[in-house]
Amino acid sequence: MERRKLFVYFISLMFVVLLAGLLNLNVLQGAKLRRLSKSNCIRLISQSGARGNILDRNEQIIAGNKISYDVMILPQDPGQVEQALALVSRILGVGQQELKIAFKKNFVSSSLPACVANNIDPKKAILLEEHKAEEPAVIIQPKPLRYYPYGSSACHVIGYVNEIDRWRLTKLEDYGYKTKDIVGFGGVEEKYDYYLRQEEGGLSVEVNHRGKFTRVLGFQPPVNGRDVRLTLDIRIQKIAEGALSGRKGSVILMDPQTGAILALANYPDYNPSVFVNKRSALISALFNNPDSPLINRAIQSSYPPASVFKVAVASAGLELKKIDLSTNFLCRGSTMVGARKFSCWDTHGAQDIIQAISHSCDVFFYKTGLLAGGQGIHDYAIKLGLGKPSGFDLPYETGGFIPSPLWRKINKFQKWFDGDTANLSIGQGECLTTPLQLTAMMAVFANHGYLPSPYIIKAVGGLDLEAKKKKLAAVGFKQSTFEAVRKGLREVVSDAKGTGNILSALPVAVAGKTGTAQVSRGLTHAWFVGFFPYDKPEYVICVFLESGGPGHAATVIARQIIEEMNKQGLI
Amino acid sequence: MRNSFIRILVIALVIAVIGVLSIYSSTYQKEGTLWQDIYKRQILWLVIGVVCFFLMSGFNYRKLWDASYFIYGLALLLLLLVFSLGIIRLGAQRWLRFAWFNFQPSEFAKLAVIIFLARYFSRKSERDISLLSRKFGIFRGIALPFIFAAMPMFLVIEQPDLGSGLMILLAFVSLLYLTDVRLKYIIALLIILVLPLPFLWNFLRPYQKGRLLVFLNPNIDPLGAGYTVIQSRIAIGSGGFLGKGWLSGTQSQLYFLPESHTDFIFATFSEQWGFLGSALLIFLYYLLIRQGFIIAGRTQDSFGKLLAYGISILLALQVFINIAMNMGLAPVVGLPLPLLSYGGSSILVTFVALGILVNIDRTRAVF
Repeated sequence: MERRKLFVYFISLMFVVLLAGLLNLNVLQGAKLRRLSKSNCIRLISQSGARGNILDRNEQIIAGNKISYDVMILPQDPGQVEQALALVSRILGVGQQELKIAFKKNFVSSSLPACVANNIDPKKAILLEEHKAEEPAVIIQPKPLRYYPYGSSACHVIGYVNEIDRWRLTKLEDYGYKTKDIVGFGGVEEKYDYYLRQEEGGLSVEVNHRGKFTRVLGFQPPVNGRDVRLTLDIRIQKIAEGALSGRKGSVILMDPQTGAILALANYPDYNPSVFVNKRSALISALFNNPDSPLINRAIQSSYPPASVFKVAVASAGLELKKIDLSTNFLCRGSTMVGARKFSCWDTHGAQDIIQAISHSCDVFFYKTGLLAGGQGIHDYAIKLGLGKPSGFDLPYETGGFIPSPLWRKINKFQKWFDGDTANLSIGQGECLTTPLQLTAMMAVFANHGYLPSPYIIKAVGGLDLEAKKKKLAAVGFKQSTFEAVRKGLREVVSDAKGTGNILSALPVAVAGKTGTAQVSRGLTHAWFVGFFPYDKPEYVICVFLESGGPGHAATVIARQIIEEMNKQGLI
Repeated sequence: MRNSFIRILVIALVIAVIGVLSIYSSTYQKEGTLWQDIYKRQILWLVIGVVCFFLMSGFNYRKLWDASYFIYGLALLLLLLVFSLGIIRLGAQRWLRFAWFNFQPSEFAKLAVIIFLARYFSRKSERDISLLSRKFGIFRGIALPFIFAAMPMFLVIEQPDLGSGLMILLAFVSLLYLTDVRLKYIIALLIILVLPLPFLWNFLRPYQKGRLLVFLNPNIDPLGAGYTVIQSRIAIGSGGFLGKGWLSGTQSQLYFLPESHTDFIFATFSEQWGFLGSALLIFLYYLLIRQGFIIAGRTQDSFGKLLAYGISILLALQVFINIAMNMGLAPVVGLPLPLLSYGGSSILVTFVALGILVNIDRTRAVF
C-alpha cells in the first residue's frame, strides 16, 4: 500500500503547487500584472497635426492641407470586426475582402484602431458617422492631407509625400521617424521634412470592461509642422511653366543680387497629388516613364554648356591677360589645332572679344582658350561656380564637371592635348554643368562680380533665413573684364547678327548668351542664359531644352517668358 | 456511504455553478445570440450531467466489467468516426455532430481507457480480489496494456488534441504505478517513451512546437503563441485579493484573453474573484479529488478500486494541468477544466465518472 500513499501525497503536492502559483501571480508579481492589466484598458486615439505649408514669396500656398477622412476600426473580437467591415464595405462600395486585408496590414495592437480606408468621400464619412451607434468599433478620423492648389506647378521644387521607405527609415529612425510615417521625397518636402513634419498628438483614454469610455488619462495636442516660405514667385513660375510646356528641359529665373530663385520649372512634370491619393497605376507610370518626370533637371542632371561656357573662357583670357579688348582673331570658318581642323559654325572674319561673344565665334575662343590653357580655363570656370555643387537648398544636386589637365593626369594617366583645350573652350567634350550653375555664373556678370549661391528657402516657421544670408562673395575679377563680357552679352541681343537678336524687340534690354550643345546622339541641347534689364539687372534667366534643337529654340522660349512677365507688369 | 454521494454531488454542483457564472461573465458581452445563450446551453448540459450522475450512481459498476471491451471498442469507433465525419473547429477535428449538439469523443475515450485498464488489471471473482498485474511479466504487464492505451491516444493526438492524448498517457502510467506493476518495468517504459522525444518533435505541428517553446519563455512571441499565456497570467495576477468583481474582469471582457470560456476559464474566474476565490476553487477541487481517493482506498474489489483511482487521477491531472497552464506553469495544451469550462462532452463525462465513483462506494457495502 506504500505506493498508494505516496501517490496521494503526490496529488496533494500538485495542489500545493497550484496554490503557490496563485500566490506567486497575485502577490509576488501582482503589482506588475495589475499594471499590465491597466494598460490593456487604455485606448490610444491619435490625432494628427497638419504638415507645414509650403508658400511662395507672396504667401500663396503651393502645398497646403485639406481635411480628409479615414475609416479606422477598433480591433475587438473577430465577429464584431467582421460586422464593422461589412458596414464599411456596404457604404463605401469596396469589397469586404479588400478591407479585411487592409485591416490586417494596418493592425498594430489591440489598443490601437487600424485604418481600413483612406481619404473617403466626405458624404460617405457623414453616412458612416450616422451608423456610429450600431457599430461603435468604426471610427471616422479626420486627417489633414497634402493638397496642391496649383496642381503640378513647381512640383520639382516641392517634391512629394509618401510613406517612408526602408532606406530613409534606417537613416531617420534616430530622429523619431517610425514606419508608416509620411515623409517628403525630393525637393523641399524632403530637405525640410524635419521642419515641415507634424507631431502626432493623441488622447489616451481608459475604458471599462465593456470597452466604454470612462475617463481621459492624458491628452497630447498635435503640433502642426512649420511653414516653409520659398523665394519662388508663383506668378513667374506659372509663366515659365506655360512657356516651357511640352518641351523637355528647364527654366530658371533668379535674382542676381541675392541668388534667390524666383522660378524653377522643369518639363516633363508630374502632379504630386497622385502620391497622396495613392493612385498606384499613375505612380508606377511616373517611375517607368523613360523621360523621367521626377527628375529635377535644373539641378539633378548636367549637360554640356556649349557656347554659354565661352563667357568663362573670355573671363579667363582677359583675367590672365592673354587677350585684351583690342585683340583680334580672324575667323575663316575653321582653324588648325595641331594637325586637326576645328571648325566654326560660320565664317565671321576679324573678331574682337565683344563681337566674338555676340556672334558666338568658335575660332576666336579656340585661340583664346589655347592661350589661356586648359588649366586656366578650368580654374576660372571653378571661380565662376561651375564644376561643383552650388550648395542649393534642394536635395540631390549634382556638381557637374569641368575637366582639366591635372585631373586627366591624376585620374586617367593620360596626357592633355591642345585639342582638349579647344574642345573645352567651346564648352564641349567632357565639360558638364547644370542649368542652375550657369544661372549663377550669369549672375556674376549681371551684378558686376559677385557669385551668388542660389537658394529657394526664404523663411522656415516665421524665421527669416534670407536676412541671415551672408554678403555675396566677390569673384575678384577686374571691373574691365565684367564690362567687356557684359557688353558682349548685350551685343548678342542688340547686334543685328547676334545669336539672340530676336530678343531685341522686347521692351526691356536683355543680355545673354545662347548655346547649342552637340551630343553624341539625337538633337542638340539648346541653351539661353541671360539677364535683364541690362542696366540694372533684376532677373537672371536660364532656358535649357534637352534635345531641343539649336540655341535659337531656347531664345524663343526666353522671349515668350519675358514678354509675358512684361505684360503682367512683373518687370 | 450516503455521505460520499451527497458530498460529491454538492461539491461538483458548486463548481459547476461557478462555471456557469464564469461562462456567463465572459460571453454576455459578445455580439450574437449564439454567444449570449452559451451559458444556457451549459446549464442544460449541467442538468443532463446531474441526471446521468443519478443514473450512474444507481447503476452497478460491476456491469462495466462485462461491458468494458464494448466500451473500449465504441470509443475507438467514435474516434475513427471523427476523422471521417468530424467537424473542424479552430483548426482541429475533434467533434462529432449529433442531432442538436456536438460531441467530443476524446472526452469519452479518456474514461473508456480507464475502464478498460481497470478491467485488464483486475479479476471479477468476489473471492479473489488480488490484482492480476502482480503476476504479469513484462509483456502482459506493460507492453500489451500500452498498446491498448496507445491506440486511442494516437487517434486523439492526431485530431489534433495533444492535451487529451497526454492525459491518457499520464493516466495509464499512474495506473501502472498504482496497480503494482514492477517499478523497473515502469521505469523502462518511461525511458522508452522519453528517448524518442527529440525525434517526435518533428512530428508536432508548428503551433504545438510554438506553444512548447513559449512555455519555456512566453516572451519569445508575445503576440503569437505566447499571447494567451501572457494575457492569462495578467488576468490571474491582476485580480488581487478579492478580485475585480463578477462581470467586471477587464482582461476577459475586453477580448484580451482568448478562449476565456473554455480552456482559460480559470483565468476568467480568477480575475473576477481574486486570490480568495481562486484558492477556494482549488480547495473545492482538492476536496472532490480527495473523496475519490478515499473511496478508492476503502474499496476492496480490485476492479472498483482501480476504477476509482483511475477516475480520481483523471480528474486530478486535468485540473492540475489546466490550472497550471493558465498560470503559465505548464505548456498550453488544449484541455478543459472539468466542471468549469464550457463544453457538453466534458461536463457529461465528468458527471458520469463521478456517478461511477459514487456507485463504487455504494456497492462496496454490499460485499
